[in-house]
This record gives sequence, structure tokens and C-alpha cells, in this order.
Amino acid sequence: MKRVIFVLLSGALVALFMLAMWQDTTREWTHPQQAFRNTLAKEERSGLHPGIHQMILADLNRVDRCTTCHVAIDKPQLALAEEPFTAHPGRFLEWHPPERFGCTVCHGGQGLATEVKAAHGDVPHWEEPLLRGSLVQASCYQCHGDLAPIAAYAPQLVRGKALFEAKGCYGCHTIKAFGHEFGGTISQDLSDIGAKPYELIKADFEMLEEPHTRIHWLLRKLAHPRALNPGSRPEELPPGEEEVFPSAMPHFGLAPDEAEAITTYLLSLRGLDLPSSYVRPPKEAPQPVYASVVERGRAMFEKFGCNGCHGAGGAGGRRNWNAGLGQEVPSLLYVKAYYGNRIDALKDLIRDGRQPAPRADPTRPFPSLYMPSWKGRIPEGDLDALTAYLFSLHDQLPAQPAMVSGAAQAAASDAPPEAPAP
Amino acid sequence: MPEPAPPRFSIKPYLKKTKLWKSIFRHDFTDSPRTRLQRVFGNVFLHLHPVRVPKDALRIPYTWGLGGLSFYLFLVLTVTGILLMFYYRPASSLAYQDMKDLSFAVTLGRLLRNMHRWAAHLMVVAVILHMVRVFLTGAYKPPREYNWVIGVLLLVMTLFLSYTGYLLPWDQLALWAVTVGAQMAANSPLLGNEGPFRLPFITTANDARFVLIGGTVIGDATLIRFYVLHCVAVPFIFAIFLSVHFWRVRKDSFSKQTGDKVDVWPHLVSRELLAALLMTVILFVWSILMNAPLEGVANLNVTPNPSKAPWYFVGLQELLVYFDPWIAGVVLPTLIVVGLMAIPYVDLNPQGVGRWPKIGWKRLGPIAMPSPKERAFAVNVFMLGTIMWFVLIFIGAYDRGPNWEWYWPWETWSHRRMTKLTLKNIPNLWGLLLLASYFALGSPIPKRIKAWLAARGGAKAPAAASAALHTGLGLAIAGAVLIPLLISPDPAYPNGSRYPTLLEALGRSQNAPIVHGMFRVVQTLGPLMGYVVNAGLIVLAGLTLAWLGVQFGRFKDRRYEELGPIKYAIVMGLLLMMMGVLGKIGLRLLFGIKYILSFPGVNLNI
Repeated sequence: MKRVIFVLLSGALVALFMLAMWQDTTREWTHPQQAFRNTLAKEERSGLHPGIHQMILADLNRVDRCTTCHVAIDKPQLALAEEPFTAHPGRFLEWHPPERFGCTVCHGGQGLATEVKAAHGDVPHWEEPLLRGSLVQASCYQCHGDLAPIAAYAPQLVRGKALFEAKGCYGCHTIKAFGHEFGGTISQDLSDIGAKPYELIKADFEMLEEPHTRIHWLLRKLAHPRALNPGSRPEELPPGEEEVFPSAMPHFGLAPDEAEAITTYLLSLRGLDLPSSYVRPPKEAPQPVYASVVERGRAMFEKFGCNGCHGAGGAGGRRNWNAGLGQEVPSLLYVKAYYGNRIDALKDLIRDGRQPAPRADPTRPFPSLYMPSWKGRIPEGDLDALTAYLFSLHDQLPAQPAMVSGAAQAAASDAPPEAPAP
Repeated sequence: MPEPAPPRFSIKPYLKKTKLWKSIFRHDFTDSPRTRLQRVFGNVFLHLHPVRVPKDALRIPYTWGLGGLSFYLFLVLTVTGILLMFYYRPASSLAYQDMKDLSFAVTLGRLLRNMHRWAAHLMVVAVILHMVRVFLTGAYKPPREYNWVIGVLLLVMTLFLSYTGYLLPWDQLALWAVTVGAQMAANSPLLGNEGPFRLPFITTANDARFVLIGGTVIGDATLIRFYVLHCVAVPFIFAIFLSVHFWRVRKDSFSKQTGDKVDVWPHLVSRELLAALLMTVILFVWSILMNAPLEGVANLNVTPNPSKAPWYFVGLQELLVYFDPWIAGVVLPTLIVVGLMAIPYVDLNPQGVGRWPKIGWKRLGPIAMPSPKERAFAVNVFMLGTIMWFVLIFIGAYDRGPNWEWYWPWETWSHRRMTKLTLKNIPNLWGLLLLASYFALGSPIPKRIKAWLAARGGAKAPAAASAALHTGLGLAIAGAVLIPLLISPDPAYPNGSRYPTLLEALGRSQNAPIVHGMFRVVQTLGPLMGYVVNAGLIVLAGLTLAWLGVQFGRFKDRRYEELGPIKYAIVMGLLLMMMGVLGKIGLRLLFGIKYILSFPGVNLNI
């Protein structure tokens, strides 16, 4: 009996060991290598060695094994049309020699892995998925501080950065890139949003359909800011709990391609500490020249992101839950009507801000958006230009001066804007 | 006459006569009683065994081979561990990369890591089960007390070996599991920077946590420290204690001494070989089917929610819900270890050595309970403790989700759910009364006092005294919990609490069912009737406790006479503390009580 058990167990052990060895010798990467070899003539095989190929990038603290399967990426003479046997398109490898840059620093993914899903980052616990399609342009901004010279190769990135500035995102969000820090403090600092740990967005992932990746999250967040943070009304909460407003981020009505462009830009903000020999910081931009004071004011209005909350051209219409004046961020078209003879009060309001914003219903929580203090951030000269621009917005109102000023004065006497918030 | 042909030259007898052959093989291999003995005592490894053992000691259902399997798993861990050391660099920038290399590039690297991981878990299980087996078969009783103590130390070292190994992959799982453990060290009394009674010279830079992790935050110093402890220091000490353990088994002989004696070779050695083979096959299958976990690279800035300790410590982590870290993380584990070591010295019952307990039925008042026929007290208390330990582990591992909230295993975790708990403290004076009367519940009435009482008050006096004592204590315990809940104001009102009294604050919450009931009684019957009914309920609860106390009264007195005052105090103290843990869990879950005693100034909360 014991002998039988002994023989059976020993046999099982030998079989298991053979199985393990067989699994080890026929790992995923061996198949594409074999398939590729089979397409080659005998004399073409001479330079190719079977096995795991890797690039050790000491400067970048990376090891990239992508060329184990992507065998022909730098051998256009051998390359085939289908993945993973294609050659790298364009002259990018000429500009970025693989032995110095590797693959993952631009393309993302898991360089150490030798299995397709793991290497492309489509596995749990690897938070740098492959940057597919034009998203790869995000990586350019890690080193290229000046986008103008490479604009032809990174159009989506350039567009995303321009959109970020034009939509007024800087009004609430700060970004630090290439040692230069700029933006508001109302909401999250976005300096390393492109590397935001998944642990911190788990609550959002619960509201998000698969895949639960940073890319998908950014796309969704930009397209529908409130979808992931719909808030909760008191009747949904245990008794005594305060209601939570939906995300205060305005709905910008971005088209899918616009959202993707901004996502590309945001993914470039990774806060990576790359060696200085790789980085080309931006050159000092020349001081812009403006046609008029109002033009300068308009530029400042966009530069400091006022339009993020006050709407394009100060036209208003952005939701701000439980704020006075119709639960919206105030429109700026009436600034001249309010402050026409009190320009210093207007400047003081911009300098000091108004935090928190006055409430429409004092039993409900404070509004999430408020006027921040711009003291020390908007230079005095720019402030003059800004007020001049704000006054000029009055011209866009329909020509019914008597009624408008009457209504405005009535509103001003009801709730004087400079009155401190309750 | 032709001469007889000279004997033909044959290589085997010739070789067997050479000194080289003799010095390697030493003895003949024919199966004779003589060679059976020679095989055992002529071989340094097999010599750990006696030459002959009683037949019944070899039966598998007696030991299940758990001690031997623990040792075999230790060997497997040593071998796989040494192989892993070839591929591992203990530096925070390299360790995680080496894990990836093992998974993706090293030949059989993944299998190696899986085997090491799963064998480590199995070894913890095997060692604990081995201890349970030794306890239940009474194998710790004289003359084996000392070896039991060595065994408990080996258990502690097994856990510490596993814990130090947990950090080495340098992933999020490792970092935060070790953080949970290291934080407990920071809460040690006297020596922890955050613990009660902190000594005046203790800071973050020299407290127990600093000693454990070699810094104020987990970093490279921790990694190299845990690496050396895991690979060299602890295995070295472990091997020394293991030798002592084996040597004592030889010296003290097996606990089972029935049946004829049989030769260890081949009877025991063959079983050992088969058990080891079977374990290897199981490990192989497990390691081929399941990969050891590896999460993202360790990041001190991102805390996973929930962060769980290694599974064998997750029971202690679950206790953190009910106790402050210095109790759950330091005092209770110390008491468990010391209590385990004390068992053979306070258990004077000579019964039950060499056999598993037989289960019978015993009546406790109206309830019939399964109970062992001999050593009932010892077996019941030990099994209650063991089962509690594993229940807590199960709850911590499978029923706790984000923010350590309760999730059933089939529920999906939600990071958006946040249950608000209302928890209150009992005022300290009531808490003191509760603790004092609870521990006084352990006091016996010794024979001398009984005789004195009988002489003074007649034959029924001792029983009356016992009834009076337990009634008093039962009422005091019930009163100390329930009266402050009825009458005390809420000290957090109006800033931290929206209701002025404990009764209303807890009664309106969702997490104190009994206080909720009391509050409803007051609400529906009006204050006067409500308080009368509640007072009646308090008396009823006190009398129930008193009845239980009286039931155990004679048992306590008998134990006291057997053990004498010191051993009795140890046994009763440990028993009361173990039941006290259960009691505190009940207070938290049923009454919404956070602390019985609270001195936040010195970090002393119970």
C-alpha cells in the first residue's frame, strides 16, 4: 500500500515538475518570436537571438522588454504589416534612440512584463496603461517644454493645452510644469493628475463603467463633470446628515474630440523627475503687445481663467448650487451697471474675493464655488486692464438701458454685492 | 588433481571491503533488526528519532503529522527562500523590480515565489494546528511542560518570520500590512511614543516602533532590517529552538505510550517521507494554479482603504474596533503568549494524556451543551479562545471593507458609503465600578472562610454568603453599565452631540440596539413609568448575572482548593480577561459604548 502511494506521489511530483517546466519554456512571448522567425529567410535570421530582449535604461530607472515581441520595431527591412511585427512609424526612433529612451517612457505600459496584457498595463495594480493612438502625444510634454517646434507631431496635445487655457481651467486649478507654477486654488492641483493613484479615485470608479482607468476617468469627468459626483440629497441620507452638492466643476459642453485633447494634455502632467539631460524647458515667451487696454483686459480675463466660472465673455450661466442670484455664478455683463461709479469697490472685490459666496437658502450648505482672492496674483496694471474690459462688456447688452439699470439697482438694493456673506 | 579454480573476481564484494565504501555507507542494507537500528542511529538526520516507538503513536489520526509537516514546510521555506535570495536585492528602488523579474523573466521564478508564499501560509496554519493537537491530547503535561513553552516560542517566531517576510516584495500590500503592525508597536505601554504611561525619554526616534522599523517611517532601513531578520537572524534562532524542541521530544518520549513498540525504520520514516511527498504535491499544485499577490509599488503617500494586516494578525486588527491599539496590539497578544506558556504550569489535572477528548453532553441550567468528558474546563476554555481567534480573523479578512465597515462576503465594497456611528463613554467612576466588580466576580470563598461562616451562622451560611456576594456583584455590573446610560448627561453636548443625554444620543442612533430599546421604553411609557421599567430590567439583568455567578461558585471554590491562591489567580485572571474581551465587544455592539475608562491625557483608554 505504502509503496503504491509512494510511486503515485512521486509520479505526480515528476509530472508536475514537467508541467511547470513546459509552462516555463512555452511562455507567451515565445510564440510571436517563433512566428516571426518563421517568416524570415535563413540569412535574415543571423542577427536575431531567441530569448527575452531588454533595454536597460539606467538614467530613467527603467527596464523595457517590449522588443521581446515587437522584434522588428527598429528593423524596417524585416518588418511586417501586422502587430507586433511592425516597424516604428516616422523618424521618431532617430530622434529618440531606443537605447537611451526605451519604449515605456513615451508609450506607457509595463516594460518589465513579458506577457501581453501585463505589458500593455491592462492588469490590476499597474496604473500606467498603454497610451493608445494619439494619446501617446501626452508624453512629449514631459520633456518638450516648447510645443511650437513639435506642434506638427503632437497636434492633439497642442490643442488640449490651448483648450485648457481657453476654457478657463486655470481659474480653479493650478499646474506646475517645468518649474513654472500657475493657476487658482479653488480646486485640485493638477500638477501630477496624469499619475493620480487609482486608490484616490476608487469612489469615482464606482460611478464609472469599465474600464476603470485614469484615461477613461478623465474623459468622462471632462465630458460630464457631474456624472461621477452627483452629490446626495438629504432625503437619500440618514436623518441629520447634510446634503452634498454635485461636483462644482462647470459643464463645458466639450465635444468628444475636445475632451480627448484635454485628456491628452492632462495625461502629460505626471510630475516625473526626469534627468535634466532629457528635458528641454520652455524659452521665455516674449511680452505680448495688445492693441488696446480692453484687448489686454480680455487676454487677462482668459489667462487667469475667469471665464471658467463666469462663462465665455463673462456671459454667466454656470451653475453654483445654493448661491444667491439664481444659484449661478454671476454674469459680468452688468458690472458697469453695478460699479460704474465705484471702480475701487470692484477692484477690492477682485483683490479680496468673496469666500464663501452668499447663500440663497441659509439652511442648506454653502455654495462650492466662490470668488477667490487675486491679491498678489493679478498685477495692478493687469487689474486696471481687466476692469476696463469688464466695463466694456456692458456694450453687449441689448439696448434697453432704462429697464436694465432699474432692475439692476433694485437687485443691488436687495442684496448689495459688497455686503459680507452671512 | 586439478587445483580448484580460484574464486572469480567480483567488483561488489571488493568495493564493500574498501575503507571508502565503509566510511560512506557504514552498514549493510539487508533488512535485519540490526540494520534497522543502525540506519537510525548511524545517521545524524534520522538520529533525531528514537529507534523504536509505540505503534499507536504512529497512527495518523493521533497527530495528523502536524509537527513533522511544520518542520518540513520550514525546510521547503529554507530551500525556496535561499533560491529567492539569489534574485532579490533589499533596496526600495530595486525590490519591486526584482519581484517583476521573478514573475516575468526568471526561469520558474514565479513558481518559486508562489511556493515560498503558500508554504509560509501553510506553515502558520500547521504550527497553530499542531499546538491545538498537542493541547487536546494533553501532550503538554508533565514531563513535557518545558517543551510546550519552547513550542509556543516557536509559534511566535513563525509568525514573526512570516511578518518580516511580508515587507520584502515592497508593494502596497506589504508596506501597509507592515505599517499596521508597526503602528501597534508605537502604541506599546511605556516604550511606545503613542502608548499609555510613556516614559519621559521616549520619542518617535527611540520608541518600540523605531526599533522595529529602523526609522520614523518605513523605508530602506526597514527593508534591510526585515531582510536580515527574515533571512538570517530569526531562522538562525528558530533553528536553535527547533533543535531543543526535537531533543526534548526525544528525551520526554511520545505522549502516546500504548501498543507494541515497532522499529522507526521503516515504519515512521516511510510515513514521514510520504507526508513530505504529499505536501510537496499539494504545494506544487497550489503554486501552479494560484499566483502570490503582488500589488502596485509601495507608496507612502497613498494608503489603501482598507489596509489589512497579514491574515494571522488581522484578528488583532479587528480587535482595534473594540479596543485601543495598546490593548489590541500589545497587551492582548502578550497575554495570549504568556497565557499559553503558563498552561502546563497551572493545569494540574493529570487526566487526558495521550488521547483526544471524548465529547459528551452536559447541562448548564436549562441548556444542554456538548462538553468533553474529562478536562472539561481546560478544553472548553482553550477551544473558546482558539475559535474566537479564528472568528476574529475571518471577520477581519472577509467582512471588512473600506473604512473598516462591515460588508458581507457577497456584498460589493463601496468607497462612497460612510456609516456614521454614535459611540459614547461610560463615565469613569461607573467604569471603575464595572471593572472592579467584574474582576471581583472571580473571587472564590475559601474553605477556611466557609468553615468560619458555618460556625457563626449555621449550615446554610456559606451558601447564603455566596448568593449575597454574587447578587451584589451582578447588580453592580449591570448597574454600572446601564445606570449611567439612563441618567448621565452627554459631555459632548452641544458641540459634538446634538442630544443632551447619553440615553437620547445613543437611543436615537442606529448602532446601540439595547439603549435604543431603553429609549423607546421611556418615550412610549413616559419618563416615570419608563424609568421604573428600565430599572426593573437592570435588576433583572443583574440577577441573571448573579445566577450565573452562583452556578460557577462551587466550581470556583473547588478550583481554588486545588490550585492554591497564586495559580488560581493566574487562571481566573486570564479567564476573566478573555471573557472580558467578549464582554467589551458586546458593550460596543449592543450598547454603543466606546470606552469603559477613558483618560485621554495619558492615552489610557479601556
